[in-house]
Amino acid sequence: MKAIWILTKKELVTFFDSLTAYVLLVIFLGLSGFFTWISGSDIFLIGQVTLQPFFSVAYWTLFFFIPALTMRMLAEENRTGTIELLQTKAITDWQIVIGKSLACLLLIAIALIFTLPYYITLTQLGDVDHGAVLCGYLGLILMSCSYIGIGMLASSITSNQIVAFLVSLLIGVFFLIIFDVLSSGSLGVMADIFHYLSISNHFESISRGVIDTKDVVYFLLIALAGLVLAEFVLAKRNIIS
Amino acid sequence: MKRSTAQFRLLLILSIMVVIGILSAQFSFRLDFTGDKRYTLSKATLDILKSLNEPVTVTAYFSKKLPPNITATKTDFKDLLVEYASRSGGNVVYEFKDPGEKEELEQEALQAGIQPVMINVREKDEIKQQKAYLGAVLKMGSQTEVIPFVQPGAAMEYALSSTIKKLSVKEKPKVALLQGHGEPSLNAMQQVRSVLSVLYDISGYTISDTAPIPTTYQSLLIIAPEDSFTTAELQRLDEYLAAGGNLLVALNRVQGDFQTSRGQPVNTGLEEWLSKKGISVEDKFIMDAQCGSVTVQQRQGFFTISTPVQFPYLPLITDFADHPITKGLERVLLPFASPVTNAISDSLIKVVVLAKTSSRANTAPANTFFDVMRNYTPADFPMSSLPLAVAVEGNITGNGNISRLVVFGDGDFAVNGEGREYQQLQPDNVSLLVNAVDWLSDDTGLNELRTKGISARPIKKELDDNKKTLIKYGNFLLPVFLIILYGFVRVQLRRRKRQQWMEQRYV
Repeated sequence: MKAIWILTKKELVTFFDSLTAYVLLVIFLGLSGFFTWISGSDIFLIGQVTLQPFFSVAYWTLFFFIPALTMRMLAEENRTGTIELLQTKAITDWQIVIGKSLACLLLIAIALIFTLPYYITLTQLGDVDHGAVLCGYLGLILMSCSYIGIGMLASSITSNQIVAFLVSLLIGVFFLIIFDVLSSGSLGVMADIFHYLSISNHFESISRGVIDTKDVVYFLLIALAGLVLAEFVLAKRNIIS
Repeated sequence: MKRSTAQFRLLLILSIMVVIGILSAQFSFRLDFTGDKRYTLSKATLDILKSLNEPVTVTAYFSKKLPPNITATKTDFKDLLVEYASRSGGNVVYEFKDPGEKEELEQEALQAGIQPVMINVREKDEIKQQKAYLGAVLKMGSQTEVIPFVQPGAAMEYALSSTIKKLSVKEKPKVALLQGHGEPSLNAMQQVRSVLSVLYDISGYTISDTAPIPTTYQSLLIIAPEDSFTTAELQRLDEYLAAGGNLLVALNRVQGDFQTSRGQPVNTGLEEWLSKKGISVEDKFIMDAQCGSVTVQQRQGFFTISTPVQFPYLPLITDFADHPITKGLERVLLPFASPVTNAISDSLIKVVVLAKTSSRANTAPANTFFDVMRNYTPADFPMSSLPLAVAVEGNITGNGNISRLVVFGDGDFAVNGEGREYQQLQPDNVSLLVNAVDWLSDDTGLNELRTKGISARPIKKELDDNKKTLIKYGNFLLPVFLIILYGFVRVQLRRRKRQQWMEQRYV
């Protein structure tokens, strides 16, 4: 546990020592703020005290934001060869994967904390459905977990950051759009499976204010699947064939 | 580790995860965190279920082969029925049938009154139109009621509970809609009629000069009369109230005409009758800065442009009392309304002001000329919280009988109009009138359910443009600014640290 935390802390500090964290946070908060308050179907246009506009924007921005965070994680270590160095330490592959993912998740959490002024403003404007807001944030965190899982997998299979970024976007597109398109309007078992795999169905359900065990398990399973596969790829170098 | 061992382990973990996924999709439970508990059975439903003496059988006709997004409706409906069955102590029994399975079942569904809806389905690379059944038949003893189409969302609970209530009510209470003074007929109030007819036997009624108004009517509705009442008729109303009858008066004290842009008072004699009871509907227009808009056609060169213009004579009401009539309402538009004031001092009579204007309001005389294009400033709205409706309960006539009276300062808010003049009303407008009838008839159970699906949470605070801009850009720029500030401070700290570190080494 301690090893994971040390690694997480180190990764988080690296984020903030480089420009990465600032650029990504500014883009994320800029886009979120712009579409929540100023343009599009913003809060004043719909005239409702709800954070739904923010959740719909974040639903899309996180889709690009997270691959940009995770692409470096293992690919960079693979490229520079420092992954070997890391593996000689008293730390398992699993701890490496978890530690790095946790750093990404914390950065997302920090980004979301910076949107708290939105919520505080809303409470001044009218009666906010606090439950729905809380569930919306929880939905974003859970969705981020899934994207981080996918991103870590993409980052583990290559030593090129750009490739890692594109691969995780590609996998993400399936969950975000393609499964949804395949399931709507078609019939049968396959349609049901695609419907289950589509992120939008699960996210909508949570962000309206209802926490269903089915949705929580879905997000965590995708995250876990990504991490397990990433760990498998990392461990491959130690395999005696 | 050997390759085969590692692969086996990976496969094992992934298969366990698939199994967990399948199990979680089958057996799940949910927690409802929405503010109005949209997805939890309301107290009204529980009361209805508790009062059931006989079992209710629900036969749901749902097609099996449906796209997943529509199947979700079926799942929701089933979840709801499971909840009903367990909360009713077994008095609600349900079964699902697939009309697509057998010809007879389809006939059964059609005969019961369930209409199929057509949906587009993709099958074998072709878009096909497919019939889908999403309805239910409810039976209790020899009585049958139908829900022809199950709407997704919270409206499901209202549909199901009101239908069960309809079955369990042996004799519907009677409600009369007064006619004979130019009032809109039942046909002109389609939306109100369809909601009221669930629980009430509603019919038109004309006052006779000689016979009293039958007290078998739970309540009498007087909506937007235009012609005068005779003294005899007013006396009948007095007698009806004295006998414990309940009265709803929605009065157009003033009338606005868009054609001539003029306003004028309406005198029916009812206003004097009301003022003797201590309630006066003033012959003034209410103006509110928080208002609906009218479409104005403007010619610019060759083009005619339609623009919506805010029109303060159409006040949009959001300030409601905590009362069964207004529970759960968010916004009601009361076009050309008048203030309703009361001077009732009898402590035994309970008076509640149901609705008020916003904090920026004004009144205008009845004989007035509207300038739609006028630009209003905050100085035009010096008044605040003008009352628009009251509910009175107690010994109103002074003879000892308790009766209820609701007065609205507007008559048209729940009238659809007939034929070409038909216009769809906002659900809250309809709910306001229907809730009032429920309260008059002492049956407020379904009020809560009716407004449950409506989840509008309007911005309550009135903001001027400067404040709005401040909020907009404040929220947009503040988080970004904080991040940049943090980055800047961090860079400075690091630089200082490095400098100290270098000084220690080399000096």
